[in-house]
Order: sequence, then C-alpha cells, then structure tokens
Amino acid sequence: MATAPLRSPSLSERLYRDLLWLYPASFRRSYGCEMVQTFRDCYREERARGGALNIARLWSLVLSDLITTVCIEYWKTFITFFKSLTGLEKEFLMTSTILNLDVAQYTHIGHRASNEDNMTLYIPEDPQIMAKKGALFVVADGMGGHAKGDVASELAVNTIRDTYYQDTNEDILTSLRLAVEHANMLIWQKNEEILRYATSDEQKKMAMGTTCVATVLKNDKAHIANVGDSLVYVIHAGQVSQIAQSHELTTEQLRKGEITEEEAKKRGLTNKITRCLGEKSTVDVYVATETVQDGDTLILCTDGLWTLIEESEMCSIVEQYEPQESAKRLVARANENGGPDNITAVVVRVSLQS
Amino acid sequence: MNKAKREPEALLPLTPAVFHILLALADAERHGYGIMQEVALRTGGKMRMGPGTLYGSLKRMLADGLIEESGERPDPALDDERRRYYRLTDFGLRVAQAEARRLSELVHVAQFKRLLGGAESIGGA
Repeated sequence: MATAPLRSPSLSERLYRDLLWLYPASFRRSYGCEMVQTFRDCYREERARGGALNIARLWSLVLSDLITTVCIEYWKTFITFFKSLTGLEKEFLMTSTILNLDVAQYTHIGHRASNEDNMTLYIPEDPQIMAKKGALFVVADGMGGHAKGDVASELAVNTIRDTYYQDTNEDILTSLRLAVEHANMLIWQKNEEILRYATSDEQKKMAMGTTCVATVLKNDKAHIANVGDSLVYVIHAGQVSQIAQSHELTTEQLRKGEITEEEAKKRGLTNKITRCLGEKSTVDVYVATETVQDGDTLILCTDGLWTLIEESEMCSIVEQYEPQESAKRLVARANENGGPDNITAVVVRVSLQS
Repeated sequence: MNKAKREPEALLPLTPAVFHILLALADAERHGYGIMQEVALRTGGKMRMGPGTLYGSLKRMLADGLIEESGERPDPALDDERRRYYRLTDFGLRVAQAEARRLSELVHVAQFKRLLGGAESIGGA
C-alpha cells in the first residue's frame, strides 16, 4: 500500500521487517506493509525523544507483542484448519461465514493501437444478494482482427454481470453459464445485423468477437465460466493452479488427443482460439467449481498477461504484495517481457472469517 | 460485506484493544499509527499497543463489520507516505455505545459498593 521511503531503512526497521516472516503468510500479506510503516513511525517518535533507553523500550514492547500475536494468529489459523478437517467449518460456512474480498483490477494497452480488453466486478452491498449470488468478476478480451473487439468485450462483461444478477436460478453455475450464453447471443445478433446490412468487405470485417472468463465467489467456492483463452489462476500456499479451460488451439487439440505432446511442444501456443462469444448463435461454455481457502488469491487475466509471465513469477508477486500493487506489478512485468497484446489482470484476495 | 443484521450486544464484552480502537475512531478517521497515538494520549500512555495487537484487532474488526477502510492518503503531520485510514461503521458505533453502557453500569455497581468516590450520593450513606 505505502510507497517505499526514499531513505534507506534503519537497522531496527530491517530487523522488524524480517521478524514479520514469523506471522502466517495471509496475515503478513494483508498487514505486513502497514505494520512496518507503523513500526517506522514509532521508531521515529522514540528516536526524536532521544536516548537508547526509549528505543530499547520500544523493542521490548514490540517483541512481547510479536511473540503473543504470532501465537494468536497461528492459533486462529489452526482453528480454521481444524474445523475444515472435521467438517465443522463446512457447516459453519453455510451459516455465518463472512467473505471479505480485497480486489484490484488493472488493464494496459500494451503495444497495441487500442485496448480491446474489458473487465467488471460486482460485490453486492446487500447481504441477502451477496448470500444468494456472491461476488462476480469478469474479464474479456475483444478479438484481435475484429474491428470492434472493444465493443464486444464491453458488451460481454456488462451483459454477463446484469444477466447473472437478474437471474433467479438457485444454482450458481447454471446461472453463470446462462449469463455467458446470453452475452454470446447478443453479440452474435449484432454481428448478424452487421453482416445483413454490409455492402462491402470492409463493413463485413466489423463483425466482432470476444473471449470471457467469469468467476463468482460465494462462501468458500469459486464458480468459473469461460470461453476462449482468458483464464483464472488460484494461488494457494505458494502453489499456482489454472482452473479455467484454455481454448487456445494447441491446448485444445492436445486435450482432445488430436495431437501428441511432442507435436504440441514443437508448435507451441498459437494466437488462435477454438471458440469465442459472437461467432455462432450458441457457444459451449466451460464451467467448473473450486474450493477456495482463507488467504487464497485469484487472478483473472487475458492472454496478454499469462502468456508472458511464468506461473512462479505470478505466485511470487501476489505472495509479496497486496492486490493493488500485485495487479500493477503483474501488468508491468508482462509489459517488460514484450507485452505485444493488451494486458488485463483482476486480482482478488479471499479472506474467510468464521 | 455480507454481514447479516446483528445485535451489538452479541459481541460484548469487547477486548480492551478493540474498545480502545473503537474509541480512537469514534471522533475521526485514523491510520494505524494515528490510532496508537490517540490511545496513548487518552490513557496517559498507560495503554500501549504493539503493531501485532493493533493489526490483529483491526483484521477481526474489519471482518466483524465494526470498522471499514476509508482509503489511502498521506498524513500531512507526518510525511508524504500514503497511509491506510480506518473509520467506524454504523454497526461499530452501536457496538461501542453498547460497550460504554455496559461499562457504565459496572461503574455504577462499583460506586454502589463503595469501591469508588461518589458512593455516598449513590448509596445514600
């Protein structure tokens, strides 16, 4: 959160920063920067008063506080883990889990003439809507080569959001899939109109398409729907998993057994996808549900990001920084690595409190 | 977010750290160090919170809906670093009021039992 001070940190501050590694990772990631900042303020105050005694008194307070609160934070983490092992947590989650989300979204034009990526998020303030429908995050990548990629991606994210929250279906995945299918239908109908009235090849190129990945977070579940190669990653305890289904050509052919792993490696990833919104009147939407845990981080992103950053680097960034800073750094790294495409990242840190 | 309507009394009694933080935020938004300074000022330096206690409490208070973040900005009195500010929610204010009433009733009992000055007037002795 805070920008680093220009002056070099004191020895005390460096030591305190190192001691923060004793805390559970989720706590450290959420409050580590602020704690260092607060320690720095306290240190500055004591130093201004003068005398080594004041500094020693500060360290005495900080160390006893550290020992106590490290134990407390681990105890609370253990309790949550124990409840999840015994099944108590699941029962509790259904009744009174509070899902807190720290979210940041960031998009960059990359080295393109325009940005055809779009994103939206909706976290209902009404507890009843939140309990029923959860929080929604959507990222879409307007199709390269289509003249109105930005229109398609914007139409997709807005339609998915509006349709999802208007739908009264109790089943989240069904509701999410219907919302994506509805977005597909709207974009396809617009394309049909364009083609119907087109009088030149140039006008026919106005037909548009987009990828999309949508995620609903509700209690301890992440519900995913995606079409194309915009994906969603979950970072849990230093491990990265990609939980959407990539419809990039090589990946899809390998999954279907149409090519061997060797052939896939030889060809590498292409910039072609096997399905998108707007191409046909119907679309095959991939849907899945995953369990998330306290402290997990989700990254929804377009291929402008995930094709340019190793998963290990993705993990390293979100483990070190809060979502706001993580989103910026992820996009900056993709740009440093060439960034030929638009780059979009939505970073969501999950906090489950019982 | 996602907090069902709850009665403030359900969270009582509060820990000293949580009540002090609620009191510190009762009249102004403050950042973490600002909360520490306010608590130290109002208690004559008797209550000193370490960063672990402060942020552990803030974390649980955020989760309970007692406080909320009110953005980041520099504190002109300190330097140009951006700091995250916290403020009371309506629910947090009601919890602080309920805890203050609870403690006030205890103080009345203490006065009645002649543990504090002013017992004569209350106890009628």
